[in-house]
Amino acid sequence: MFRLKSLLTGGVIATLLVTSAFAKRGADGIVKILNWQAPSMMNPYLAGGDKEVIAASLVLEPLAGYDENGVLFPRLAAEIPTVENGGVAEDLKSITWKLKSGLKWSDGSPVTSKDVVFTANYCMDPKVGCAALAGFQGVDKVEALDDLTVKVTFKEPTGVPYTLFVSQWSPIIQANQFADCLSAKAPTCTEANFYPIGTGPFVVTSFKPNDAIQLKANPNYRDANKPAFAEVNVKGGGDALGAARAVLQTGEYDYALNLQLAPDVLSEMEKGDKGKAGFTFGTTVEFLFMNLTDPSPSLPPEERSTAKHPHPILSDVRVRKALSMALDRARLSDIGYGSMGKPTCDFVPAPPIFAAGSTSCLQQDIPGAKRLLDEAGWRQGPDGIRGKDGEKLKLTLVTTTNPVRNQFQAIIKQWWHDIGVEVELRSIDASVFFGSDPSNPETYSNFYADAQMWANYFSGSDPGAYAESYTCGQSHGSNTPRYCDTNYDALVTELGKTADIEKRGEIVKKLNTILMDSYAIMPLVWRAGVSGISNTLGGTASNAWDSELWNAQDWYRNK
Amino acid sequence: MNQGGVALAEPISRRTNEAPVLQVSDLRIVFRTRDTAIHAVNGISFELRPGELLGVVGESGSGKSVTMMSLMKLLPSPPAEIVSGRACLGDRDLLSLPPSEMRKVRGGEVGFIFQDPMTSLNPVFTVGYQLMEPLRKHFGLGRREARMRAIELLSRVGIPSPQDRISDYPHQFSGGMRQRVMIAIALACNPKVLIADEPTTALDVTIQAQILDLVQKLRQEIGMSIIWITHDLGVVAGIADRVMVMYGGLVVESAAVDDLYANPSHPYTRALLETLPRADMSGQERLKSVGGQPPHLTVFPTSCPFAPRCPYAFDRCRSESPPLMSVSQGHDAACWWDVTEGRARDDF
Amino acid sequence: MLNYAIRRLLISVPTLCLISLVIFSLLKMAPGDPLSQLPPSLPPEVRANMRAALGIDEPLFVQYLLWLKQFFVIEPLHGFDVLFGTHFTDGMQRIISWQSRGPVFRIIAERLPQTLLVVGLAYIVGLLIALPIGIVSAYKQYSVFDQIGTFLSMLGLAVPSFFSGVLAILIFAVYLDWLPTIYNTNLIVNSWSSFIEQLRQMAMPVMVLAVQTTASISRYLRSSMLDNLNQDYVRTARAKGMGENVVVLIHVLRNSMIPVVTVIALGLPSIFAGAIVTEQIFKVNGIGELLITAIYANDVPMVQTLAFIFAVLIVVFNLIADLFYGLLDPRIRYD
Repeated sequence: MFRLKSLLTGGVIATLLVTSAFAKRGADGIVKILNWQAPSMMNPYLAGGDKEVIAASLVLEPLAGYDENGVLFPRLAAEIPTVENGGVAEDLKSITWKLKSGLKWSDGSPVTSKDVVFTANYCMDPKVGCAALAGFQGVDKVEALDDLTVKVTFKEPTGVPYTLFVSQWSPIIQANQFADCLSAKAPTCTEANFYPIGTGPFVVTSFKPNDAIQLKANPNYRDANKPAFAEVNVKGGGDALGAARAVLQTGEYDYALNLQLAPDVLSEMEKGDKGKAGFTFGTTVEFLFMNLTDPSPSLPPEERSTAKHPHPILSDVRVRKALSMALDRARLSDIGYGSMGKPTCDFVPAPPIFAAGSTSCLQQDIPGAKRLLDEAGWRQGPDGIRGKDGEKLKLTLVTTTNPVRNQFQAIIKQWWHDIGVEVELRSIDASVFFGSDPSNPETYSNFYADAQMWANYFSGSDPGAYAESYTCGQSHGSNTPRYCDTNYDALVTELGKTADIEKRGEIVKKLNTILMDSYAIMPLVWRAGVSGISNTLGGTASNAWDSELWNAQDWYRNK
Repeated sequence: MNQGGVALAEPISRRTNEAPVLQVSDLRIVFRTRDTAIHAVNGISFELRPGELLGVVGESGSGKSVTMMSLMKLLPSPPAEIVSGRACLGDRDLLSLPPSEMRKVRGGEVGFIFQDPMTSLNPVFTVGYQLMEPLRKHFGLGRREARMRAIELLSRVGIPSPQDRISDYPHQFSGGMRQRVMIAIALACNPKVLIADEPTTALDVTIQAQILDLVQKLRQEIGMSIIWITHDLGVVAGIADRVMVMYGGLVVESAAVDDLYANPSHPYTRALLETLPRADMSGQERLKSVGGQPPHLTVFPTSCPFAPRCPYAFDRCRSESPPLMSVSQGHDAACWWDVTEGRARDDF
Repeated sequence: MLNYAIRRLLISVPTLCLISLVIFSLLKMAPGDPLSQLPPSLPPEVRANMRAALGIDEPLFVQYLLWLKQFFVIEPLHGFDVLFGTHFTDGMQRIISWQSRGPVFRIIAERLPQTLLVVGLAYIVGLLIALPIGIVSAYKQYSVFDQIGTFLSMLGLAVPSFFSGVLAILIFAVYLDWLPTIYNTNLIVNSWSSFIEQLRQMAMPVMVLAVQTTASISRYLRSSMLDNLNQDYVRTARAKGMGENVVVLIHVLRNSMIPVVTVIALGLPSIFAGAIVTEQIFKVNGIGELLITAIYANDVPMVQTLAFIFAVLIVVFNLIADLFYGLLDPRIRYD
């Protein structure tokens, strides 16, 4: 059967060459993956979210990816370029990637440096609307030195030059296939966006947007023994509960992504003994963001929530600290996430080399918080609410409409009330809150409130860009609290020029301390991603730094 | 084609001595609901002679329609229940016939015409279809034969250009024309008995006259027996051979038509006759009506049901229900008071 | 009748134009953003770039006119191209989904088969069960059969599909392990075993949807039958000696079906619209699921196109219901 298929697709010569190894590729039949938030396309550069990017990672590969420990490993590249091996220039202004030799696209054509250059041109084309553009922003030029060598030159010294062509967000696409998809034509390239030609272990055979994807083993995959599965079915639709049921309870599917369910529901389903729920702690943290600027509606729109007008209450760090002291993060984590969450005081909770591991905020201290507010001049009024100069200590707390977050809101309101702070709660639909429509005032980036709560994370394992987002010059989209500290900014600049991983770790920990002591953002809970894995599926390795399906080529069926 | 052919009618007078076509005896019908019972028919006996036209007269609720419908098992049961009685069509008791035999009688041996021609035809089928249905069922005619016979019937009941109108729907006919169609349906299978339940009540007076003429004509041609139910003594006077007056689920008087009009022997009949408008009435004179209310039939009558409205009523009327008594030859009345003599009957 | 139909269709054109404008305005007024699922840490300038690529920030009337042109000119022309191999629309922009960047009609065409199969079959099954139930429970009014039928219909109407669907999954998939919980839209029926597999995966969604159809249609038919059973023409039919089967199944049923057929015809657009909840539960991923996903993703071109197609279907099936009415009831003629 497999011989017949390869005769048809790969040609006679390929069959003769790899016949001995063919016994393993495709030997394990079909693997069924359930991604209930169904992918709508297979091109991560145009995708509207993570779900497309994860699905595309079965087909498209970057030059290098992160393994389950957050360590870079070469995929299409022959090795990871570093300063030591000469791949990264001493001045940190360029990086030179070398491709593995003999690589083939799934259509049999060779992978060359032209494809890599094309990928850069594609994403950097302003009319394409590339989602990974941030990774390309410091790039001066991308050039092919020879068929297998690509040199990326940066405008500034760049300590971590692994922002482009690395991880699921930035894979290499085939120049030939996307040649007509540049500029305004990008959205019309339906065939290319649904059926990209890749180098990964699988090839799309049928793509139904937001429904089902069928893939088969890539006949030209570089490891002749892999993948073990001949076919992959990715099914979408329904909800997390149904997805969990299909893997954990009925065993119809092998792998389910994104099972954000109540812990007791999952453990009840696991009793079916068909599969297990796997938790992966990545970089996702639920935060409270304090607005350091005045969101008052009486201000003109262009000055509202801008650095021009400091917040009348929250610009005092003592108030912010008191608010943080009033929180019991361990209880929040327990109530909202159970074993899928951990209380944290770090804005970078992982990977370990960057995590400060601070525990200073974990102890709730209501009397201390009260004392601090007293010191700051906020006196308790007859109604229990503090006031100063005729003004009440009253804050609005906004979050998205979501049962866990709304529960958190209510609990936090109670704690803050205990220290004499009156809180008004609001919740907004996530698609509005996280929207970017300029005419819509209720977005997280506009921040027309005193405090807001949502989860932030960074992709990959390097927090450089993430740390940079809290510097003075950053727009309100990423620097939500409008935080500005010259010491912090100086350290971020230093981080940008530092390539050594140990030193980078030291700097990020220092940044963490500075930012946490400002109480402009308050980490609450470090959240895990949850997947359901069938007991019959082997070889999976949960990965928080790259695609969950990063090693699908190594998956196999437990016998 | 002559399967349903028309037998030439013999003169009626010659046939009065023959055995009755339909003989009903002691028919009792009760309508039972969850907690009440209506004694609608309380022991009725009558017979219908071959070729005879029997007029059945009475006010609403007197049991005249119920009686005739029950003979053909057309009353929904429940609630209607035939408590006792026999109804012999020839030598068969209709009341004990199995349903399949009953269906052969209905439309085959006994035809029906109903009061409201507007609603009695099915609005969604052509008149041809509805006319052909009984022909195909009872005579087993094929489609084409049935159609020819249907056209013939329509022309017979006086519908112009019947071959065109046969494929029209009932709403395309006027009221009178519809009643003609109903008559055609009723006569389709040459029934022995035609039961006409107030067939002219819903029609205006000129149409009414046309229908009466038509029935008279067809009766002469076909020679069937007819039971003509009406509340209009005037109509009956023109066409009936014999008249049966009903009140409170009982027959109160029965006589040849001339005899009845000349010598009404029951106070109710008299009262009814007085309600008729007369040609010699002056414009100022008001029409009379029968005073009082019809009886509530919640119990089986143990007294004369008309007694409360009767000007002649005396003690016996209120304690004992009068049986049908012979007044003269072929003239019966159920009354304890002899109106002609002006005294109570003591011979019973 | 033909004249009437043409006249009605012409009258509905301005109505539909108005509907399309209303749908468009409502969608535009509704808050939400197709890019809201991107990571919050994504720089705003990247976001702005993506917005521009989607054309979200074009003036509203430009977007609306473009959509009109795409819907009424380009898409029909494209259909013509596909049918006859011509090339009129080469290089023209079809209606593109913001989620998948694929042509909206291509995706609809992909979704339609499973919706028609599952929802359509459920409708047919529902009708086939509803008709005898409606007839018998009217004919035997207040009998045990009627009482049970009434009770079950009420249950069918009252129990929402998100409950009955999950209950069915728990019983037939989790405890009994007979049926799959996930509908495989890629299943190709080419053998006896794949046919059985198709039946198995359709069983639960069809069952859940059919219960609702059965419940409502059998109620309609029952009351319509009851209205007609007391009519004079029924007595006439019996007086002609017609058997009960003929009386009930020909005379009464034909009349009773007049209002019911209208109800059935008006329910037909829902076959194309799919069943949002049931499709979600069983992951049938038909048109209903497409619509709800598009709404969540703020995929305006998709929602706009689907909503407008539904509007057209409703107008057309209203007309069909009227014409059917005329066919069934000779008293009504459209001249």
